[in-house]
Amino acid sequence: MSFYSARTTSWQDRLLAVNWLVIGLFLAIGLVGVVAQYSVAGESFAPWAWRHVLRLVVAVGVMILIANLSLRTVYRSAYVVYAVLALALVAVEVAGSINMGAQRWLDLGVVKFQPSELMRIGIVLALARYYQGVEASHVSRLRHIIVPLLIICIPAFLVFRQPDLGTAILLVVIGFSILFLAGVSVRYFMLAGIGLAASFPIVWTRLQNYQQNRILTFFEPERDPLGAGYHIIQSKIGIGSGGLMGKGLGDGTQSRLNFLPEKHTDFIFTIFAEETGFVGSLILIGLFVALLISLFFVARELKTHFGRLLVAGFGVSLFLYFFVNLAMVMGLAPVVGVPLPFVSYGGTSLLTFSIAMGLILCVDRQASLDLGR
Amino acid sequence: MKRRKESRGEVFSRRALIMGAGQLALTGVLVGRLQYLQLAQADKYATLAEDNRVNYEPLAVSRGRIVDRFGVELASNDQNFMISMIPEQVEDIERVLKHLQSILAFSDQYRAETRKLITKAPKFLPFTIADNVSWDAFAKVNLNLPFLPGVQAFVGEKRSYGLAEQAAHVVGYVGSSRNREGRAQSTYFKGRAGLELAFEDNLKGEAGNRRVEVNALGRIVRELERRDGNPGDDLRLAIDAEIQKTAAAALGDNSGSIVVMDAQSGDIYALASTPGFDPNLMSVGIDERSWNALLQDDHKPLMNKALSGQYAPGSTFKMIVALAALEAGVVSREHELECTGAYRFGGQDFHCWEKDGHGVVGFNESIARSCDVFFYDLALKTGIDAISAMARRFGFGRKTGVEVPGEKMGVMPDRDWKRANYAVGWQPGETVITGIGQGYILTTPIQLAAMTAALANGTHLPNPRTIMGADSAERQELGLNPQHVALVQSGMIDVVNDRRGTAVRSRINVDGMKMAGKTGTVQVRRITKEEREAGIIKNEDLPWTLRDHALFVGYAPLDNPRFVIATVVEHGGGGSSVAAPLSSRVMKTALARKLAIEAQLATQAEQS
Repeated sequence: MSFYSARTTSWQDRLLAVNWLVIGLFLAIGLVGVVAQYSVAGESFAPWAWRHVLRLVVAVGVMILIANLSLRTVYRSAYVVYAVLALALVAVEVAGSINMGAQRWLDLGVVKFQPSELMRIGIVLALARYYQGVEASHVSRLRHIIVPLLIICIPAFLVFRQPDLGTAILLVVIGFSILFLAGVSVRYFMLAGIGLAASFPIVWTRLQNYQQNRILTFFEPERDPLGAGYHIIQSKIGIGSGGLMGKGLGDGTQSRLNFLPEKHTDFIFTIFAEETGFVGSLILIGLFVALLISLFFVARELKTHFGRLLVAGFGVSLFLYFFVNLAMVMGLAPVVGVPLPFVSYGGTSLLTFSIAMGLILCVDRQASLDLGR
Repeated sequence: MKRRKESRGEVFSRRALIMGAGQLALTGVLVGRLQYLQLAQADKYATLAEDNRVNYEPLAVSRGRIVDRFGVELASNDQNFMISMIPEQVEDIERVLKHLQSILAFSDQYRAETRKLITKAPKFLPFTIADNVSWDAFAKVNLNLPFLPGVQAFVGEKRSYGLAEQAAHVVGYVGSSRNREGRAQSTYFKGRAGLELAFEDNLKGEAGNRRVEVNALGRIVRELERRDGNPGDDLRLAIDAEIQKTAAAALGDNSGSIVVMDAQSGDIYALASTPGFDPNLMSVGIDERSWNALLQDDHKPLMNKALSGQYAPGSTFKMIVALAALEAGVVSREHELECTGAYRFGGQDFHCWEKDGHGVVGFNESIARSCDVFFYDLALKTGIDAISAMARRFGFGRKTGVEVPGEKMGVMPDRDWKRANYAVGWQPGETVITGIGQGYILTTPIQLAAMTAALANGTHLPNPRTIMGADSAERQELGLNPQHVALVQSGMIDVVNDRRGTAVRSRINVDGMKMAGKTGTVQVRRITKEEREAGIIKNEDLPWTLRDHALFVGYAPLDNPRFVIATVVEHGGGGSSVAAPLSSRVMKTALARKLAIEAQLATQAEQS
């Protein structure tokens, strides 16, 4: 069993075999990021835009590399990857308790990484691997409910303890989406919904002060116009003042006058929307929708349940980040520090998404392969 | 009815479709929101974005002056050439700072500090880089402005203190505009100590502001609206700058304080504390080394000793003991006692400062010659609670309420106080030493001045005040027997004017300007029996911190007293040898001022 499958094919064949539509859409969205980074820096490639280009190139490389992995290898190592990441989360927890405070990064000497970020991939891998071995008629049996729930809740709890409520919730939502796609009876979801509503008051009291503030401020930004609500108000002004056609690239006054914080990371959409208006924003949203739809078609063509759930899980993950970020900058969701995939400046998030995309391409390339149970 | 078993693929496809539809719907919500923000509400947000380009800018106003009772400036405002920078308009802060350094010649350390402070300051407000810049350097910066984007050179104000360190404690000082909290844009300064702090609200005035339009680079394009502020009010003090200067000069290099007060109204003519510090340095930003030197000096230059220094009153307390005894009726006005140099009580010898004794003394001689034995005995006869009650009528153990911040209340012990603060109750021996103003009792110089004023006018305890025409609190009547007061006053007169009085060398031998008073020498260490037998070590042979405090309280003239003085020289030696001569010198100046002003008023009255 070779690490790379189909050793006999040439590298040209292997390159052609990957889904270039998906890569193309990814690059198109990434390019919007480059434009936005360029504009927000005062029409300059320094300090962000040129690094973003570099990272996009690296990301495509990573994708193609992962796309050429053998699906069997991916399938077999799914639990291992999950277990390693879970251990890393525990390590972060231990390191955090030593350092007395929030700790999300694990320093491996060479690279620093955020296990919670990569866990988005780990959970999808483990769940897809699990359901590959479960009959359709057995999915809703209690035994097959409890194990997936553990797969979701253990890392979610560890991330929540960091404390990173936003990412913990995203992990749970991604996990539950896979349960839904795997065919778990709708009754369980209704039960979970009722349980969630009932436990809300308890969760609320356990939240950190700044977390409570963010939620309260979301409902009423004017509560604190120069503090927590400031970001939301300024972001809405930026987007709204863009109008139909926008103010033109590099002419966004909101960004230029420094009214916006984190303008090149979480609030990058605000700048783009201010400068390119409703038309530009729709184009960006359209690109995301196109990418998601193409993922849907990829999933439909797959033979293996593992592959289908993997692609769908990553699709949901991508959609969630896209949706939550946009909802946040438009004042529809609390400020939770979620970046806009491929557009926001930042290496970790881009790397995580490129790994996920690479896995999608990997599955797609070996669509007809059957793994058995 | 049994449903056909679906395969996993079929379930997945159906549910993926449902989920996809859900995602599309949510995306629809986003588009709807976008439509609302960018199309429906576009005008509203465009206006708001426009408003973001309009800034409010504070306009600084002049701080009120502080003047003495005749209008002499104690604190005023001078021109101050200042250089500031609006951080967000500067591309390369380090480069601009280096450029400014080449002109203004500040140290590398200062540059690094400034760099650090700028990162913490708001980016859109001017940050003061240097003030009190020389005219030459200021002109050079102005010439270089085209190469220094974001830098402003302008003429502001700096606080100037006419009497410098001589009135530093009472007038106080303001913080530099460079200090982080003091960097309020609405005023150049913020009061930090003394009356500058206490009357901050009156002095600072009301800042104005203007609404300006800034372009995309943040530069001001035009002024839209302007509201000028109101400058701060001037503050007129009861202080007489001449007397204040004399008092500070009389203290010289000593660590001590002098309070000169009106015997009737409580107007404070001088409130001097030495050593002082230069408040002018504070307003332009004192360097850390000088500041630390001030903090570490054992003569405590930053402390206003006239209000915050707490000392045992020593023999200056004897008048209170006498009045308490007379009012309690434990002895008559003719009471006499033989002083043999020591007083035996409870198996212990309490010594008089006069080793060989004063012989037979009454009230007059025991005050004039400061006999300790007489007052040991008198205190025991009177009891601590009666003494304490009398002392409280003279304002001991509480703040006088003078406007200058930092006043201490002192300690006036009695039985209840001892029980509340110590495990053991009041000991009779403690009453004995309270008779000569030693033990737990602590007073501030301003309390001593108020006490002396009450003894001089005989009727009421004035409320000390540094502000001219301040509404005096209700008069605190003493309700004393005038004969008792006269007896004590005669003792105080003889202190200075009798051949055998302790302060006779400090008498003012001019009719109508004669002074009465009382000396005090306060021991700060315990004299052992062995030392007493071997001969008490002279003050000059002791380390500074172990030397006696020298005290003097006095009033003049004898008829219808006008001025009272309270002097404390820390570790200065004897009350009669050190404190009394200083006080006499200051008192002479005060009396001469009074004569000169009365003469001037008389001439004016004649002319009009």
